[in-house]
Amino acid sequence: MTAVVVRGFFSRKLRAVLTGIAVALGVALMSGTYILTDTIDHSFAAIFATGEQNRAVVITPHQGLGAGAAVQTAAIGQATLERVRRVPGVAVAAGEVFAVATLFDAQGRRLNTSAPSFAVSVLPARFEDLSAVAGSLPTNAGSVAIDQASAQRASLRVGQRLRVAGATAAATYRISGILRFAGSASFGGAGVALVTLPQAQLLAGEPNSYDDLVVGAKSGVSPATLRKRIRAVLPLTLDVRTGVQQAAQQTSDLESQLGFLRTFLLIFAYVALFVGAFIIFNTFSITVAQRTREFGLLRTLGATRGQVVRSVVAEGAMLGFGGALVGLLAGLGLAPALDQLFKAFGADLPDSGTVVEFRTIWVSLLAGTGVTVLAGLLPALRAARVTPIAAMREGVPLERAQRSPRGRRIILAVVAFYVVVRVALLASSGAGIATIVILLALILAIRVPASRRRIGGAFSATVVALAHLLARPLAWRGITGRLARDNTVRHPGRTAVTAASLMVGLALVSLISILAAGTKASINQAIDASFAGNLIIQNSSTAGNAGIPTEIPAALRAIPGVAQVTPVAFTEGSVNHLKGNQTITALDPASFARVYRIDWDRGSDATLAALGTTGTVLNRSFASAHHLKVGQTLTVAAASGRRIRLVVRGIATDNARLLADLTITLALARSAFAQRVDALDFVSYRPGVTNAQVQPKVNRILAARFPQAESQTATQFKNSLASQVDTLLALIYVLLALSVIVSLFGIVNTLVLSIFERTRELGMLRAIGTSRRQIRQMIRYESVITALIGGLLGIALGVVVALILAATALSGSGFVLVIPVVTVIVLFILAGLAGLAAAAWPARRAARVDILAAIATE
Amino acid sequence: MSDPGIVSARELTRRYGEGEVAVDALSDVSVAFTKARFAAIMGPSGSGKSTLMHILAGLDRPTSGTVTLDGVELASLDDRALTLLRRERVGFIFQTFNLLPILDARENILLPLSIAGASVDGAWFDELIDAVGIRDRLHHRPAQLSGGQQQRVAVARALVSRPAVVFADEPTGNLDSAASGEVLDLLRLAVDRFGQTVVMVTHDAQAASHADRLVVLGDGRIVRDGEALDAGGVLDLMKSLSR
Repeated sequence: MTAVVVRGFFSRKLRAVLTGIAVALGVALMSGTYILTDTIDHSFAAIFATGEQNRAVVITPHQGLGAGAAVQTAAIGQATLERVRRVPGVAVAAGEVFAVATLFDAQGRRLNTSAPSFAVSVLPARFEDLSAVAGSLPTNAGSVAIDQASAQRASLRVGQRLRVAGATAAATYRISGILRFAGSASFGGAGVALVTLPQAQLLAGEPNSYDDLVVGAKSGVSPATLRKRIRAVLPLTLDVRTGVQQAAQQTSDLESQLGFLRTFLLIFAYVALFVGAFIIFNTFSITVAQRTREFGLLRTLGATRGQVVRSVVAEGAMLGFGGALVGLLAGLGLAPALDQLFKAFGADLPDSGTVVEFRTIWVSLLAGTGVTVLAGLLPALRAARVTPIAAMREGVPLERAQRSPRGRRIILAVVAFYVVVRVALLASSGAGIATIVILLALILAIRVPASRRRIGGAFSATVVALAHLLARPLAWRGITGRLARDNTVRHPGRTAVTAASLMVGLALVSLISILAAGTKASINQAIDASFAGNLIIQNSSTAGNAGIPTEIPAALRAIPGVAQVTPVAFTEGSVNHLKGNQTITALDPASFARVYRIDWDRGSDATLAALGTTGTVLNRSFASAHHLKVGQTLTVAAASGRRIRLVVRGIATDNARLLADLTITLALARSAFAQRVDALDFVSYRPGVTNAQVQPKVNRILAARFPQAESQTATQFKNSLASQVDTLLALIYVLLALSVIVSLFGIVNTLVLSIFERTRELGMLRAIGTSRRQIRQMIRYESVITALIGGLLGIALGVVVALILAATALSGSGFVLVIPVVTVIVLFILAGLAGLAAAAWPARRAARVDILAAIATE
Repeated sequence: MSDPGIVSARELTRRYGEGEVAVDALSDVSVAFTKARFAAIMGPSGSGKSTLMHILAGLDRPTSGTVTLDGVELASLDDRALTLLRRERVGFIFQTFNLLPILDARENILLPLSIAGASVDGAWFDELIDAVGIRDRLHHRPAQLSGGQQQRVAVARALVSRPAVVFADEPTGNLDSAASGEVLDLLRLAVDRFGQTVVMVTHDAQAASHADRLVVLGDGRIVRDGEALDAGGVLDLMKSLSR
């Protein structure tokens, strides 16, 4: 029996390869994701471990909101450093500054656009782990050392000038040295400018303050003992860790942030595997049908149903394992490609070397093999229903089991449930709904071959009707077109599943494109409705949550023609122990309402003016989700762990989401949330002043003093947001393309198998005078019809899901539903072209059928 | 009928469809086949001969009546038990050979044993392939064998597990007369030398003439059951029955 399985597997090499690819592509994305994220993880872990090895104890501000929170933490004051120095056993204690910054060369060009950069202070020699590969570390206020990667990228050498802009006005330094970090050329992709401590404090806007303190122990005092002593004298708003603990903490923080990236990529891997499952299902269904006589023979010779099932399952397992193995290896190549992809889309992720964890290997192999075996299970069970009589005569149909498929239903339900839960956990609620709708449609599709009578019948009928509709333009091709259409509907179930695999990819592509178009339209509408100013100032890089200095408003108010400059900042807090963190907008209550129209549900602009440090305004969607009312008191925990009580004074609808869950005053954000930089400044002009009179002056001041900031008109701002959406969209398209490619292999596979099945018929057609060309055309049309059915259903499904989302999860958020007609038409055309491409090789194969041999085939 | 036979059927009826459109493929057929004898079943198309064979072999179930094979009452068996019975006590030979193209001749012959997970009796295997005369073709795939050779491999496959009975369904239907003769001689030899019981369904008068006994069916009933005839006699008999 084993011989039958093994030989059977290798005798159907072509099928094995085509199906194997379907598995391999999904697995490749999966293993590539793990390899990439593990590599990034290890690169950082090495840097952290080296960085902390000379430090007995490290003191950092407490951050109670989790690694993912976009918040500033409070700086540590000089008094704390003095207090630590007095702890017995402390040999040396020093403060360190590590601030987000932007680096420019002498011509004013940014060194690093895709990754964040930092201004870092030089530490006493005992702690310093950075070494200069050229020149030396900075020793005076006028010098800086930069990382080797940034220096090479901008061709900077020792002696040249470097401009650094942090949380305040920019300063210019002379490069004294080039740095390396724990054997790598950059700090995990980020740029670093190392300056003296006072300069770093200046750049960070924190005179006499530090981001962390590092402590060296006297000989004979263990880090753990010293940590205990220091812990005893410091408040709980500070965390005290040994160097080893600190490295572990930093690594685990990083891991939780990388988790997002990993999940994002894995979703696409799951989608590709899911599409692959369709192809496996279809391939196995077709081959099981073709091997009816073989199974009948085995049954006649005394093979039990179990043996037949096991033989098909074993074949699936071999195929899945092989495909997964290839996928795993391909992942090694895909990981750097993914890295490049992210670079191309503006996210510079660091990686050095290639890390393949044991987990990557077993998860990939298990996923690939598991998906294949599961997808092959239904066909395997069907193979077991072949009666021994099937071996006796040709044309005995498969017995349609009467004691109906309870087992199958259970399996299907379990698989579907698992996938739903899994995906729903991964995705947010909106995407979860979309997933469930898509899955329901798929279950409908997958049931087609199983039961033609009920719902499946409707789906098959749809496929048949679509085939007739889509084949209409082929009528002029005469019999070739007719045959192509009839071949498509000959096995409606088979065509349906093939089309469904393409449908999945296209449904997601069209859904995403509709959501993106809607998002852009919503942004535009919200900005048009709310923004009453003329310019928006923000950091020219979105990397690393870099803010803009708080000195900018004062500098710009001096420009003639400027009426108002109002700063806005964003932070996070934890409200009333609700799950996760809540986003907080901080603004200047006196000037904000003059440049921004607030759509009040409860309250008025006067409410804002009277907010003070005890009041808050809620966004309506947040208030209604948690049943919060005006007059209620909320307890809000800041990152430091400090709790403040705020009374709800008003509720406003803001589709632009500039007003986050909570809105508070900037004064409160500065005092209670340690918010030291702003996110945006809104500028409005005096009446009668034109943009041409003011914006150039604004830009001049920014370039001279705050090169990290840029000004945009509302139109420019909308365009830049739209281009961010487009960038994300393009990234998702590229990742979804993999699923579409998988489904194309499915079309190729189905075509090849049905051509094999029709060898005799093709020979007959050739015998009565059909040209090779006509045969090729026939196959191509067949493929195009199938692809277009998939395309049409996919697009329709995407639109329907978008409509459902707009009516449910997104209702009340100001989401504007826009169907990008051009994109949809292009998608449909691309689906047809993809069908044409998929048919190229099968069509040639069909045309090569040898007439005599085909007719003689028994 | 004092000898119960190795395979016997009592009052078999097989009805297809229900009510007014019901058709009886077999009606009230009782027949028994003796051990170590070669029986042929003939009859025009639609006479029920294939249905009879399928029911005797446990591939199909009768609407009423009983079948006993090697002392086992088939109606009492579930699908799994029937499968095991076929595996151990029944051999099959088909019109279209039905060899697995992916296996070579030797592997095809041993397939029933490998399905059962049973070991090969080397002496018996040697004796068998010498009798069948395909020793030099053992490592050829079916596609590399002639029709006659393929059918001889199929005969060897049917005999390898030394079943209680071998059913042959039109074994010569796809063969020329020379190859047919070889296969029929082989079946004869299986009965005479190895004591095998063979039940053969055929259209071919020449084939039927190799048997010891000739059962003829018509319209689902046995219309003649007796000693075998020579080819001419069979033809005359069939003519007289179709009149």
